[in-house]
Amino acid sequence: MKDKISYSTAFANLQDVVRQIENEEIQLDTLAEKVKEANELINFCESKLRTIAGEVGEAKA
Amino acid sequence: MPAIQRLSEVVTEIEDSIRNRFSGRTFWIQAEIADVKKYTDKKWCFLKFTEKSGNLIVTELKGVFWSNTYAAITNFEQATGQVFASGLEITCQVRVKFHQRYGLNLEVIDIDYAYAVGKLEMERKLIIDQLLREQVIVQDESSGRYFSNNNRLPLPLLFQRIALITAPDSDGQRDFQKVIRNNKYGFAFSVTEFLSQIQGDTASRMILERLSQVQAAQSKFDIVVIARGGGSDTDFKSFNDYELAKAVAGFPLPVLTGIGHDRNTSITDLVARQMRTPTEVATFILEHHMSLDREVDELKKRLYRAADLRIERAKNMLEAYQQRINNLSPATILKKGFAILSIDGKIVTNPDLIAVNATIQATLKNVVIESTVTKKNENENER
Repeated sequence: MKDKISYSTAFANLQDVVRQIENEEIQLDTLAEKVKEANELINFCESKLRTIAGEVGEAKA
Repeated sequence: MPAIQRLSEVVTEIEDSIRNRFSGRTFWIQAEIADVKKYTDKKWCFLKFTEKSGNLIVTELKGVFWSNTYAAITNFEQATGQVFASGLEITCQVRVKFHQRYGLNLEVIDIDYAYAVGKLEMERKLIIDQLLREQVIVQDESSGRYFSNNNRLPLPLLFQRIALITAPDSDGQRDFQKVIRNNKYGFAFSVTEFLSQIQGDTASRMILERLSQVQAAQSKFDIVVIARGGGSDTDFKSFNDYELAKAVAGFPLPVLTGIGHDRNTSITDLVARQMRTPTEVATFILEHHMSLDREVDELKKRLYRAADLRIERAKNMLEAYQQRINNLSPATILKKGFAILSIDGKIVTNPDLIAVNATIQATLKNVVIESTVTKKNENENER
């Protein structure tokens, strides 16, 4: 997922989702979905720090 | 046939004359040095003192440091941040010595570092003034710090793709790579080495060439590191070069310098982001990624806390409703001592439907009592 988005976008989205859940802006029905989304963003950020996107030699998005 | 003398007789006479004339005397001289040969194991140094008129050497005399004064060279290098090498102009104290085999020499007793330091400072100031004049750098009035376009560039979020300009097989290269490679957090970095001479006369030109190679592949890199490592190495003259400083100041990617000198800040350091050593640069990069990782971890904790809390609250709310419903249920009412009246299995709420002699059932908590109505009176309390 989200191969195209940058670390900063993913991180900002993650902050946003967490804030929404904290502020109870999320319907209970969609909570599971939002937690899943946040988990994906966490995995994305963690793996982004541990792999080099596009390797050296490819233009940065 | 004139009287023939042995060589040694003549040379001894020369020696005597010189000793008579110069014994016990010392001189302070200022001269350029050339053909410097250091024997670090023996702590000897041979050189030539020269004086030029234009480009022409008009005076030249051999000079020597013996082991008892060799420390002056080391001190000089530490004080000035440059290697004691041919081409330098130095001020030093000497005495005149003549040796039957090795001839006339100036034995160096001491070097005046202040002169050399002052000269370097002046050169440095001239370059800084020029950069200021050309608005390559500006000086912050309150802090005295110098700012260039480069050291004001925002740092990228990730420093993963690093262009490393360093000397091949050097301490700087090893120190930097060691920290980056041995990170135990599994962070990924790609370090592309641009090898260059990092000291000596041609070093600034070579570093400039490497910089333009990096620039040609600019999109492949996040940052540039210039690393020069330690030891007794003191020559960082190449980093006080006008052209190099100007190129770094205008470089489109952030440049981090770790050129390993405690006391001196080179002009290249001034226009870039200066760290003391290659190890410090690598640590800075690593710590940056650690802090990003911690931020994600913190959000992860907040996420689980918030989600748990959300579910917990919903549960509590459900329980509260459950409680209210329970309170209203017949079972709860019966527990409180009330009874339900019914006739033929149908609950009766209208007393008019209950006639005297009718058979009614009173349902209590645990029993059903069947009884016959004998009398009906108005409820005095409800009147």
